[in-house]
This record gives sequence, C-alpha cells and structure tokens, in this order.
Amino acid sequence: MASDRVWWRVAWRNLWRNRGRTIITASALAFGYLSAVVMVGLTDGMSAELIENGTGLLTGQIQIHGRDYLPERNMHRTVAGYDGTDVAALLGRVEAHPDVAAAAPRLYGGGLVSAGDRTEAGLLLGIDPDREPRVSTLLAHLDRGRIPRAGAYELIVGREMARQLEIDVGDEVVLVAPAADGSTGNDLYTLVGVLDTGTPGVDASYAVLPLSDLQYLMAMDEGRIHEVALNVSRPWDTRAIAASLQQYLAGGGPEVEVRSWTEIRPELSEAVALMDSMNFIIVIIIFGMAVFGVSNTMIIATFERQKEFAVIRALGTRRLSIGRTVVYEGVALGLLALVGGALITGPVMVWWHNSPPDLSAFFSGFTWSGSLWRPILRVEYSVDAPIISAVALFFTSIFAAVYPAWQATRVPPADALADR
Amino acid sequence: MSFLTEAPRAPSVRRTRTCREVALVFRIPWSHALRGSLLAVVGLASGLGCAPALQAQTAREIIDRVDRLLRGESSRGVVEMQITTEHWSRALQMEVWSLGTEFSLVRVSSPPREAGMATLKAGEEVWNYLPRVDRTIKVPPSLMMGAWMGSHFTNDDLVKESRIVDDYDIEISFEGMRDGVEVWEFDLTPRPEAPVVWGGIEWQVRKADLMPTWVRYYDEDGDLVRTMTFSDFRVMGGRLVPADMLVVPRDKPDESTRLIYHDLEFDIAVDEDFFSLRNLRARGR
Repeated sequence: MASDRVWWRVAWRNLWRNRGRTIITASALAFGYLSAVVMVGLTDGMSAELIENGTGLLTGQIQIHGRDYLPERNMHRTVAGYDGTDVAALLGRVEAHPDVAAAAPRLYGGGLVSAGDRTEAGLLLGIDPDREPRVSTLLAHLDRGRIPRAGAYELIVGREMARQLEIDVGDEVVLVAPAADGSTGNDLYTLVGVLDTGTPGVDASYAVLPLSDLQYLMAMDEGRIHEVALNVSRPWDTRAIAASLQQYLAGGGPEVEVRSWTEIRPELSEAVALMDSMNFIIVIIIFGMAVFGVSNTMIIATFERQKEFAVIRALGTRRLSIGRTVVYEGVALGLLALVGGALITGPVMVWWHNSPPDLSAFFSGFTWSGSLWRPILRVEYSVDAPIISAVALFFTSIFAAVYPAWQATRVPPADALADR
Repeated sequence: MSFLTEAPRAPSVRRTRTCREVALVFRIPWSHALRGSLLAVVGLASGLGCAPALQAQTAREIIDRVDRLLRGESSRGVVEMQITTEHWSRALQMEVWSLGTEFSLVRVSSPPREAGMATLKAGEEVWNYLPRVDRTIKVPPSLMMGAWMGSHFTNDDLVKESRIVDDYDIEISFEGMRDGVEVWEFDLTPRPEAPVVWGGIEWQVRKADLMPTWVRYYDEDGDLVRTMTFSDFRVMGGRLVPADMLVVPRDKPDESTRLIYHDLEFDIAVDEDFFSLRNLRARGR
C-alpha cells in the first residue's frame, strides 16, 4: 500500500500545479453544495410553513376524538358517547402525558349564521377561550375586537363571513343549529371580534364561540365534546407520540381515538412529502450539472499530462495506477470543495434562517392543501441536507474523474512521446 | 305518429264513474306528496265540482290531470310529524296553510321548546321565524338540501313545485293485481333538461279510487333513496286523502318521518298577504 500513498501524493501535488484552475473548479463544486443545501433548506422552510400554518391555525398536532367520530363527524358521536365525559379530568390526564405540551377541548356544529336579512351556512366551533391559545393560533388572528366570554352570548366570525353578512363588532347575530335532541337551537349573540386567518375556508365559514355556549345551543351537557386538540413537545415526532398517547389513554377513562396531524390532514402530509421529493430532484440537478463541468476540467488536465503519463507508463507503471491517481485527484478536489462549501454554506444558512427575505410587499400569500403559505423565503436547518449534499458532491467528483482517468490509461506511450 | 308510439306502452284507461266518485278521485293530494312536500299535500285543488266521467287515455294524461287539479286554491291542516332517527325521536304538532303552489306556511305548536317556530315558503324562497329571538331568517341556497326541522324532508322539498308532466316522461310499468288490489305502477323518468333532483320516481296507485299507495325515489345512479308510503285513506274537508304518510330513507331503514293529518279543510279565506314576512313575524308573537 506504500505505492498507494505515492499516488495520493501525486494527485494532491498535481491539484496545485494549476492553482487557479483548481480553485475555480472547487469553487464551482462548493457553490453547488451551497445551492443544494440552501434550496433544500428553502423547500424545508416551505414545508415547515405549511405544517405550522396548517396545523398551528386549528388542527393542532394531535387530536383525540370519541370512537367513530371521524370521518363522518356525526355530531352525536361525542367523546364517550351520549353521556359525555368529565372533560376536566380527560384534559388533566392528557396533559399529564410527558410529551403533551397543552390540550384544548372543542365542540363542532353546523348551522345558520344570520344577521339582518342575510344568512350564511356556518361551521360553529365551541372552544375554551383560556386553553385554545395554547394549542392553536386561531384566536391570535383576531383582526379586530376581542375573544368572546363564556355565558355572555358572544361570538367571533371569520372576516369573509362578516363581509357576507355585512356585520361588524357590536352587531347582533342569530345562530340556528340542529340540537342533539332533534330540536332546532336558536339564539341571539353579539359579534365581539372578527378573525383574519388568511385561510379562506376558515375566514368564510367559521363562527367561534365559547364551548359552554355552543353546548347550550345544541342542547348538550357540559361533558360533551367532539375533540381534544393538543400540542406536543416534540413536533417532528407526532406519529410516535400519538401512538404512545393512544396506549396511555387506553388504561381507564373513555374510549378514544388518537390521531396525528398526518392522519387528520393527509392532503397536508402529502404536500409535504411532495416537497421532500423535490429536494432529491434539486440535488440531482445541481450535481448533475457539476459532474460535466468538473469532468471537462479534468479531461483538459489529463490531456496536459499526456507526456507525463507516457513517461511513467514507459517506466513500467500499470494502467490501473495511472487511472487511480486521476480518480484520487478528483477525490482530493471534492474534499477541498466540501471544506470550502461547508465554510461558505454555514454562515449563509445562519443568516438566511435568521432574516428570511420577506416578499410580502410583492406577493400575497396563497393556500395550498388548506394551509396558508406566506411569501417569506424562510430556510430551515436540516441534518439530512448537508450530509446528502456532501455525499452527492463527493460522488460527483469521483464520477467526474472516471472518464478522464479512463482516458489517461489509454495514452499510448510511444505515440505520445513522439508527439504523434 | 303519436298514436303509434304512445298507444302500445300506455294502455288506455277508459272508465266511467259516477259524479261523486270522480269528485273523490280528482281531489287526491298525491302529486305533491310525491315530492315529499307536506305543505303541498294540503295544497289541494278546490272548486272542482263534479267533473265529467274520467276519460283518461294514457298514463301521462292521468298524471297530468291529477297534477293540474292539485294546483289548488287554499287549505289549512293540523299535522303531527313523528320523526325517528338513530339518535332521538320526537313528535311535532303543527298547523299548515297553503295558497296555490306558491305559498305555504307551517307553524309549530308543540313541543314547547319550538312552539311558535314557523316556516314560510313564498315562491322560491324559504324563511324561518324564530320566536325565541324574534327574528326571521332566510334559508340560503346552500342549505336547501338540508333537513327541515330535523326530519327526512329537505327545505328543497318545500320549494320544488314544477309540474310533474313537464319534468318527467311517464309510462305505465305495471297494471294488475298487487296484494289483492288492482293497481297501476308508473315509471317517471326525468327529461334531460328538467331541473329535478331525482334520477327517477316510481308510483303505485290503486285503480279503485286512484289513491297512491307508495312512491319510490331514485337517485341518478338508479339507486333507491327513499320510499314514501301512504295509508289511512279517509275523507277530510270533504275529500278522500291519505291521512298517514311515512318516509323512510333507504340508507337508514331504522329512521323515518311520519306525517299524520288530524284535520284538513279546503277553500279557506286566506290571501297572499297572509303569507308575508310581516305576518310571519306578527302572528308568531
């Protein structure tokens, strides 16, 4: 293996024979590395944005329902059935789980939201005004007004619904909803706030009121809720936590079904998976382009050394060794580029992550898979991207060296030395 | 050519009846019952008097005649609605008025939680009056297919009042004995542009008194959606009517809505003003 070290040394020294060319080639690879990591960081940022806005606004990361509530969302299928459950006890139990950060109860209803001579079909959401902000950002999206108080016949609606109904804070609103006993619940409320979430489905159809008020409207006892939404301490691990929570809650208490947001919002989950697959394509494209550039440079470099190869061939060097030294040169170039790439990528990522360019002035946000995407080009750190890009860069430099190496082994010593 | 095309599939129904029989025949409240409209059920024809003997030639003519006769004048009825669902069952007492096909009004008298609630149908619009908050609200188009008062009728059932013969092609699919009774069975197929929600309707009608016995509603895939069964035929307000109508949705055979007429009168003194929003509120208080 002693001879191997020699070929490494030859490769390394050869790298510095034309310093300018090597630096330029290594820079191209380093810049490719930077591009790959940043692009992946951007799509990860977009995924994070979708997940955060998609689950953060309303869904929460994990939801608990009564048995058979999903997918029909039949209003009679409350947690623990008709009798309901001790909501405070259930919340206490859930929050005692080590991975649960916060939990909030919810009740859903469908009905008419009416004001003056205008009426819209609405989705009625009953929430605990104290607990809800710990789980979702819904109430943080108040455009104007305030959060409704329990027992005061107060509610808030989405901005688009307020516009359709031509109402504003202080106006009266009638809710009509089918109640659990088959009767038709109806009551008069005061609009105390307007929500602007940016998510059209929510802004156009949600009417939010305190849980106890909605229970009263729907002729349900205080023990009846449809859902407990939660936030967990390790958001990236929601699936595992949901499974553990399901087991944890199986021991006593009402029979429930625990789902992570990936199950509740499969469309969101698929959107994120789609973005992840884009990462792969980005890396392939960037390094695919780099392969040809680096390869070109190395072919020229080996052409320059034709006479050198001819001499050492004439001295009895085997073809394999000549090919090896060219590949070693590629590997050395790759390592050099990787070090350089890491040195420039680190600071760029830190800077970009901390001050993402906000293009809100030029573009408005859009919704994808029911989740808002704001025009903020945030990048997210990831463990995978730098490693995968490094591996891709490394293989790029090896691949790029393969053809020049093969060319180098084909040099016929006599002809090359005779300048033929 | 119509002679050639229509005659074979529509056997003639020549018959001669007494004047009194015809009067009964012509007052069947079935066209609207077919549409599941409890309001229209009482929207019976009036002022028919003693019609000439029935000379109906084809299925289409039979139905057209009855349908036209039912575009009646005015009526008032006392109805009990018994609703059974998977989760609850309850009975509503209500009073029902109608004027032609354009106007109808339903006012709930019990149970107490809903007493005073009223639904007004005026043309294509449906309004609800809520006594608890003293407000009237219009049912938005998006909720027209929603259940009316938790029953198996939709708001749309209250509104759709186009003529059956305009919207459907009608054929006799069966004629003869069923369970010892002479009946006709009619197949109604919607015409291509007809604004109807059903993919097809089947009726069974007793030959003896032209009372409907059942109606089956099919969706566009030809699957049965709901069945309406009529029984307890009796004379009310001077006319023979089915006093008991039972609607059973196909996908939930344990659920049903039953309408029972306790009282029915025709040609009452109401005008369009009676069916106004103002009156809807004023009378509710």
